[in-house]
Amino acid sequence: MNRQNVDVAVIGSGPAGMAAAIRAKQSGAENVVVMERAEQMGGLLHQCVHNGFGLLYFNEDLTGPEYARRFMEKAMDVKVTPLLETMVTKISPEREITAISSKEGYITFTPKSIVLAMGCRERSRGALNIPGTRPAGILTAGTAQRFVNVEGFIPGKKIVILGSGDIGMIMARRLTLEGAEVVAVVEILPYIGGLIRNEVQCLHDFSIPLLLEHTITQIHGEKRIEAVNVARVDNNRDPIGGTERRIECDTLLLSVGLIPENELSSMAGVELDPITGGPIVGEMRQTNVPGIFAGGNVVHVHDLVDNVSWESELAGESAARFAMGAKWAEKGKIALKPGRNIRYIVPQTISGEREITLYLRVSDLEEGVRLKIGDIMSKALRVVKPSEMLKIELPMAQLRKLKQGATEIVVDCEKRGK
Amino acid sequence: MSELETQVLIIGGGVLGTAIARELSRYKVDVTLVEKEVDFGWGSTKANMCIVCQGGDALEFRKEYHRSRLVWESIPLTEPLCRQLAVPFKRIGELTIFKDNEGMAKYQKLKTRAESLGITTHQFIDRDTLRQMEPNVTKEAIGALYDPMIAITDPVRLTMALAENARQNGVNILTGTEVLDISSGVDEFEVQTSQGSIKSKFIVNAAGMFVDKVAAMANADDFVVFPIKGYVGILDKKVGGLVEHEIHARPEAPGESNIITPTVYGNLIIGTPMKLARRNDYSTTRQMAEIGLRNAQKLVPDISEGDIINSFAGFLMFRNWELGWHECVVSPSRSVPRFISVSIGYPGVSAAPATGKKAVKLLTQEGLKLEENPNFNPYRKAITDFSKLSDEEKGALIAEDNRYGHVVCRCEMVTEGEVVEAIGRGATTLDGVKFRTRAGMGRCQGGFCSPRVISILARQLGIPEEEVTKKGGESRHLLYQSKQLLGVRE
Repeated sequence: MNRQNVDVAVIGSGPAGMAAAIRAKQSGAENVVVMERAEQMGGLLHQCVHNGFGLLYFNEDLTGPEYARRFMEKAMDVKVTPLLETMVTKISPEREITAISSKEGYITFTPKSIVLAMGCRERSRGALNIPGTRPAGILTAGTAQRFVNVEGFIPGKKIVILGSGDIGMIMARRLTLEGAEVVAVVEILPYIGGLIRNEVQCLHDFSIPLLLEHTITQIHGEKRIEAVNVARVDNNRDPIGGTERRIECDTLLLSVGLIPENELSSMAGVELDPITGGPIVGEMRQTNVPGIFAGGNVVHVHDLVDNVSWESELAGESAARFAMGAKWAEKGKIALKPGRNIRYIVPQTISGEREITLYLRVSDLEEGVRLKIGDIMSKALRVVKPSEMLKIELPMAQLRKLKQGATEIVVDCEKRGK
Repeated sequence: MSELETQVLIIGGGVLGTAIARELSRYKVDVTLVEKEVDFGWGSTKANMCIVCQGGDALEFRKEYHRSRLVWESIPLTEPLCRQLAVPFKRIGELTIFKDNEGMAKYQKLKTRAESLGITTHQFIDRDTLRQMEPNVTKEAIGALYDPMIAITDPVRLTMALAENARQNGVNILTGTEVLDISSGVDEFEVQTSQGSIKSKFIVNAAGMFVDKVAAMANADDFVVFPIKGYVGILDKKVGGLVEHEIHARPEAPGESNIITPTVYGNLIIGTPMKLARRNDYSTTRQMAEIGLRNAQKLVPDISEGDIINSFAGFLMFRNWELGWHECVVSPSRSVPRFISVSIGYPGVSAAPATGKKAVKLLTQEGLKLEENPNFNPYRKAITDFSKLSDEEKGALIAEDNRYGHVVCRCEMVTEGEVVEAIGRGATTLDGVKFRTRAGMGRCQGGFCSPRVISILARQLGIPEEEVTKKGGESRHLLYQSKQLLGVRE
């Protein structure tokens, strides 16, 4: 492969990376490489053997590996070049990529543009500071998923899950089907952290106890975990004295959130949003570093893979056009500001010159609300939850209502009057 | 092992036991070291601040205290030792901050006293110099006492390296071997262990937190150590640049000191001693974590809870309640000949090199005959640290062995080649690999690398993956094979 002549390099080949690379190629970039540390493309989709993928994108209910397969085949069709077993170790602000590979050794090259598609990682126990001992048998739900679905091992047979993220709920069902007993799913909030469909299909359908407004206050066991203490929490999420009880278990899974994986982005000088944990992007998914674009869970954690694919296609298209000479301002001239009960909005800036899709999350669960995009658009919603991303199309017809010279749009989630 | 005979038996594979073993390996003498865990330095050596000689050691130097002398005598020995064993060692200096003139006056007194004893490295720095040296330290500090001599190391890696070098020089090392009972004969001891019995002429008791219990087994001494539990938190490397020196605020009352220091790997570590606790209870509590964080914020206000990637409990042993950490045990038994107990209390790592030499001297006083070992090799080669190699070296190494091109730990950039090397040096568990290579010590805390390290361990050790443990014994990581719980597979 001639590395002196790479148009677009995509970092990561999960759903984001594959979609970006395919779209970059389709948009006219000639030499598109996708850099992947594993032996094959597809990222974590291969360990997600459950269904529910592609309902929006393909209008079909696929498993993770099936969803991956479609993109892998398409990538081969359009002649994307995969660089497998290749780990990117550095990206410079001048877009120089450094990587190591067991086949090719030490690699450096400078593509015309880059798409960041590294996805996200799970929060660990350390990040939570759960008190207690430090025995074996505590692992994140995603690591457990890999052991069960790819490596062929079951971590234990009496399982407590802390957090009700999607992977945790899916693993509750998966381990039940494998003959383990999931004794409790413990969630500190008054509502689950993942999708309703997973609460119903993974927990309720299998009669798995869900303890809302509870948390783990202590871990017991010297060598292997033996039990946890679980307590009810008050409105400040602090444990309530006297509500503590011991639950015996041999395994604790953690499903307490995902963090965009942006160590490489930081090395490249990409500015991050402290709320999303991902790059601050414009509507073309451009970052503050010219020629570096980003898409998927590296930008913000999505609920549905379909949206990851769509967002990354936009990044891939932009990277291709940049490689062919197109230029945009690093920041759109209009900033989108989170207002009442809005946690974040992606993209963070827009130009106001083309129609866009806004992805946003609320801070708190609320019923009977109205979402107001400045004074150019509003939408009534029955219920909003932090765990369910909102996706709002903003057509040109609405954007034209913006006042001349406007520099920001405040997005509010307002309570509707009776 | 059913029955074994040795001349010197060392009980305990912490930093002191292994330092003594390595010191004895300079001589032609039959030495056996037993450690109850499957690896070295997993007791009180494991959880501390990684500091080599704290400022207080010098300021409060008392030549009548064994501990003071051993720490002091170790100062010129530690850096060369770390270099011989290829263990990280970095002189970072210490800033003991104070918030008022009264505080400063107190240090002035200590400094003057230290100077009268020939300890002259301390100097006062004013507010502006402190701001320049450490812009993130609390604005309440009006100055600091600076000691440039203070250094940091990796105590567990030092201990593992000492054990490796001792073994290389002929010491018989038995892990997973717990001492259960000791009977004293006329001229030898018979020691019952979990793996069989050992006959030995001499015993060095370096059992750390259990030093008093082991001494009691032999009716050798009648002393007690008080285990004081502390909180240690590791911060993400992304905030590693907040301070460059060890920052210290001296205690208002014993046991209330707090420290923040860089580690040799670029993290920060925060620590607060707590209170008397049940020994071997390494559990942390919510209250400990809160106090630990709050105390660290008193030194560096920008630290937040989200920066903590791991936390755990550590122990320091008080020999004597009034003297706190000042006194220790490094002495032959008063009633049982040829039995020596060694316990520094805190921090063993600062005193280990001189304690090794001291123990050898005490053994000869008890009658051990020593003849130099002409084949003694003081050097140990480091395990490759791929992340530290130059680009050219990386490429060349991968070309030679492509396992170095396979990254298994993305946070700390550790390759399969390094994991295989670590197993070759004696790692048999996930933690054994972690302490030797740092795989699993990064911000994802093993989420990514543990499946990969488990499969490499299983392959290299020739055992099924379900038998791979986190830290030996019953700490298996994966309990069943797929479908085993359904009765489809036995």
